[in-house]
Amino acid sequence: MNDKNVYSRKATLSLKISEFEVPPMQDLLIVGKKAPIGPEAVRRMAEALSPEQFTLIRIDHPKIEAVLLRNSLLQMLDEKLLMGIIMEEAERMISDSMVLRSELKIAVTVQREVELS
Amino acid sequence: MKVSDMMLTMLHTITSDKSVAHASERMREQRVSSLLVMDHGEVIGMLTPRDIFASHPNRIVADAMSPGPICISSDQTVWDAGRLMEEHGVEQALIMAEDELAGWITRENIMIKLAEFRDPLTGLFRAPYIQTIGERLLYEKKPFHLLFIDLNNFGQINKLYGHPFGDDVIREYSSLLATMMDERYDHVSRYAGDEFVVISTADDDRILSYIDQMETPIGIRHMQVSAAVGHVNGYLDPNFFTYSFRELIEKASLLSTSTKQRIAGTVL
Repeated sequence: MNDKNVYSRKATLSLKISEFEVPPMQDLLIVGKKAPIGPEAVRRMAEALSPEQFTLIRIDHPKIEAVLLRNSLLQMLDEKLLMGIIMEEAERMISDSMVLRSELKIAVTVQREVELS
Repeated sequence: MKVSDMMLTMLHTITSDKSVAHASERMREQRVSSLLVMDHGEVIGMLTPRDIFASHPNRIVADAMSPGPICISSDQTVWDAGRLMEEHGVEQALIMAEDELAGWITRENIMIKLAEFRDPLTGLFRAPYIQTIGERLLYEKKPFHLLFIDLNNFGQINKLYGHPFGDDVIREYSSLLATMMDERYDHVSRYAGDEFVVISTADDDRILSYIDQMETPIGIRHMQVSAAVGHVNGYLDPNFFTYSFRELIEKASLLSTSTKQRIAGTVL
């Protein structure tokens, strides 16, 4: 048979299904100054997906424009202390066109001594 | 001249959730240099080509726009508008008429208009400027000092030394006036040939000091140049607000002539 007379179009579908996590946002996003998504878009997205659960902190930095933080983190640690740690780690790897996402878990260890009567 | 006389009434708007790429395309299509960013009928910012160049095209307008433009009342003069925009370092301003958005204006438009009112020889504003300031203060019932400054023997200077030298005298005397003025209180203009007008809300002591400096002869090359000053004090004259600005200028001008006659000891 002449190959010129055979013509076929096929599509192969691959479907992966998993549960959508609610809320879908991670603990924090670090927005570069020239990133394709700006701080206000990030804030609106977070507000639409997880209302009143995130705070946007705008910062004056050569590469980073803002950090979006889960409010519960701010309840556990002082904002200045938390931001100091985040910035120290983020500025080593971020470029001004990136948006970094990060998980941040805080584990508090308490040890107390009490007087025995 | 009021800003309402030269404002742009065609408003091109965009909402803050649109992309910068979309805004850029719209500006190109509509051939406009900026877009007013409005959400739910409220102005929240302005998008200019500078904002677009500095932002990723995927960003939303809210992340690229300049903050809300300043608002200027439609009654303000172009001089006030220019000063306000310079103070705030903004390129555009909205014009409001009784709390309603009436139009907008760019600093470039203002600067072009103001250049038309400047005297090319001295760099000072011309008569329409001082007239606008004076009429506005009279309308607002705010008293002021009006000084009419007339150079002595300027006709003779021109005849004896030529017009180019006369121009030098005007330029140097203007420069002296300009450095004397304090922009918090004073407005100065070249009113006509060798005549200048100052409107000031400074205190009496300062005004007396001005008159003293203006009348004291100064050396310009080999000439001693002085001026006669006519002073109308709006703080003392109980009928001040019954006069029009034109009548006040006439009054100050005649007082300047009297001073000139007194100095020369002649009667015209």
